[in-house]
Amino acid sequence: MKFCLLIVKNLRRNVLRTLLTALGTMVLVFVVTLVWSILFFLDEVTREKSHNLKAIVTERWQIPSQMPFAYAQTLCEGAARQPGDARPTDSATWQFFAGTLDPAKRAAEDFIVAFAMEPRKLATMMDELEDLKGAQAAELQDNIHRMELQKSAILMGRDRLAKINKRVGDTITLHGINYRDINLECEIVGSFPPGRYDANTVINRDYLNDALDDYARKHNGKQHAMTSKTLNLVWLKIPDKETFSKIAQQITTSPLYASPAVKCETLSSGVTSFLESYRDLLWGMRWVLCPAILVTLSLVISNAISISVRERRMELAVLKVLGFRPFQLLLLVLGEALLIGVASGLISALATWYVVNEVMGGMKFPIAFFPSFFIPANAIGWGLGIGALTALIGSAMPAWSARTVQVSDVFSKVT
Amino acid sequence: MEAAKSIVRIRGVHKYFTRGSEQVDVLKDLSLDVPEGEFLGLMGPSGSGKTTLLNLIAGLDRPSEGEVWVGGQLISRMSEGRLARWRTRHIGFVFQFYHLLPVLTAYENVELPLLLLPLSGAERKRQVLTALELVGLENRMRHRPGQLSGGQQQRVGIARAIVTDPTLIVADEPTGDLDAKSAEEILDLLGELRRSLEKTILLVTHDARAARRADRVVHLEKGQLVENEDADEDVRMA
Repeated sequence: MKFCLLIVKNLRRNVLRTLLTALGTMVLVFVVTLVWSILFFLDEVTREKSHNLKAIVTERWQIPSQMPFAYAQTLCEGAARQPGDARPTDSATWQFFAGTLDPAKRAAEDFIVAFAMEPRKLATMMDELEDLKGAQAAELQDNIHRMELQKSAILMGRDRLAKINKRVGDTITLHGINYRDINLECEIVGSFPPGRYDANTVINRDYLNDALDDYARKHNGKQHAMTSKTLNLVWLKIPDKETFSKIAQQITTSPLYASPAVKCETLSSGVTSFLESYRDLLWGMRWVLCPAILVTLSLVISNAISISVRERRMELAVLKVLGFRPFQLLLLVLGEALLIGVASGLISALATWYVVNEVMGGMKFPIAFFPSFFIPANAIGWGLGIGALTALIGSAMPAWSARTVQVSDVFSKVT
Repeated sequence: MEAAKSIVRIRGVHKYFTRGSEQVDVLKDLSLDVPEGEFLGLMGPSGSGKTTLLNLIAGLDRPSEGEVWVGGQLISRMSEGRLARWRTRHIGFVFQFYHLLPVLTAYENVELPLLLLPLSGAERKRQVLTALELVGLENRMRHRPGQLSGGQQQRVGIARAIVTDPTLIVADEPTGDLDAKSAEEILDLLGELRRSLEKTILLVTHDARAARRADRVVHLEKGQLVENEDADEDVRMA
């Protein structure tokens, strides 16, 4: 404890320098925390799981997938044909409806992409929504119930609502862009809990399918061009990798999916494929940007500690004369750097977590279909670790220099 | 009369430094005894080896040849680590420029050497307060060096030197940076400490007034000792 007090008091020697070093550390830790949060999330979603996996079924040779809705029923059963065939524990279909609120202007803020799906699948198949508890879970169930009772009901994320300047209870008309001449009049019955789905919109798939049927009736039985391409994605919930292998085999060998052909892959594989176009960006973030920041941080701390050691060589010599051993002087200097690094890193990580998660509701950095990212709890440890490691590295040389100070400097100079 | 035992005993000490291929002799066949309780002045011109001799006595350096005994211990053969520990307990330093840590208060500066000893907080406090009282600065213990005069800072330096109850006090030009009045006060204090605590003091100085306070003055010239019995005679010589 007594040495700690000496370390703390040494930092008060030049308060401005200490504060600036701390501030520089906080800013750099902030940036690294943001970048690592994105990479951490993407690593998590692309990590192959061995249990409770999700698989996605898409068109084999085209992106985006455009499969006929007739595939839905059998794909949701994992293309099981024989009694002993494997089946998923749950499933969901997605149809993407892109529309605009103003067909004349078609401005970016009026553009909405909605997932058309079975409302009840929101609570069982959507990441994070399936884990909701308490009031949020109850509110979601309430919204699901409303969507089932009223096919034209729509659920929107808070950011999306704010962008189109609408509130729960308002009515909007989505003029189809990919579904030309299909206009869906919807009532906003609720919003998603804050988080991952802030920018998303969900409609009842029956509403879209009914609109397609209605189009055929109004056009003398002529199907809408999208009728045979309306199914974009099928989600399957699978208990383990062995079952996944069986289901994948069943789907890919089934004669039901000849044209267009389909493929079944785990969600992590699917996401990895989708992120392929961001590969260079992510590589740069991981192996260029972050290391460069860490090196810069080490240099910032090294510079500050070097100046501090150089300024007080005489004091260090006095400490040596009084009986402090070289390793104790080394520890004193390392301790100062560690204190700045650890404290600044921890404060920065905590502040980043709070501001991004609680105040901003996520970091808006769209990559693929992930509109925003959150700071994980691990980030607190990152900040502490980054601060400590860069402090140790940066102060190593000045600390070594401190232990080699010459005691002859403290004695009188003969004139 | 029984001779006082020697606190400092130096026998046949040589100290040389090597510069390239050249050997520079700083101290040559030097022998010295400092009895317990003596106030010894050490004088000499620039380059005479005073600082080197000081370093050897204080355990900051080792002789090239010979033996240095302080307080009955052969310090010239001790390891670095053992010397550092020995120095904390047995040597009290008073510097020309005080060399107090500016970020610490007077109390904390005096406490510094005690941090290296296995003492409880209460014991450290007792010793620090005693030292500050002895130098008359108990009312200034919360002040930092920047808030003290030169004379007060040197008193804090003296308190720091005596707080561990050392065997030997080494004062290197303690009045060199002080005005005449403050210098007299410091020399009075050193003399008082020597009398009341029976300390052995080694004073390195160019100041004739300071040298006059010593019981005995030795001169160092070209690495060899020239000793005078009488401090006054030496002062006249200076």
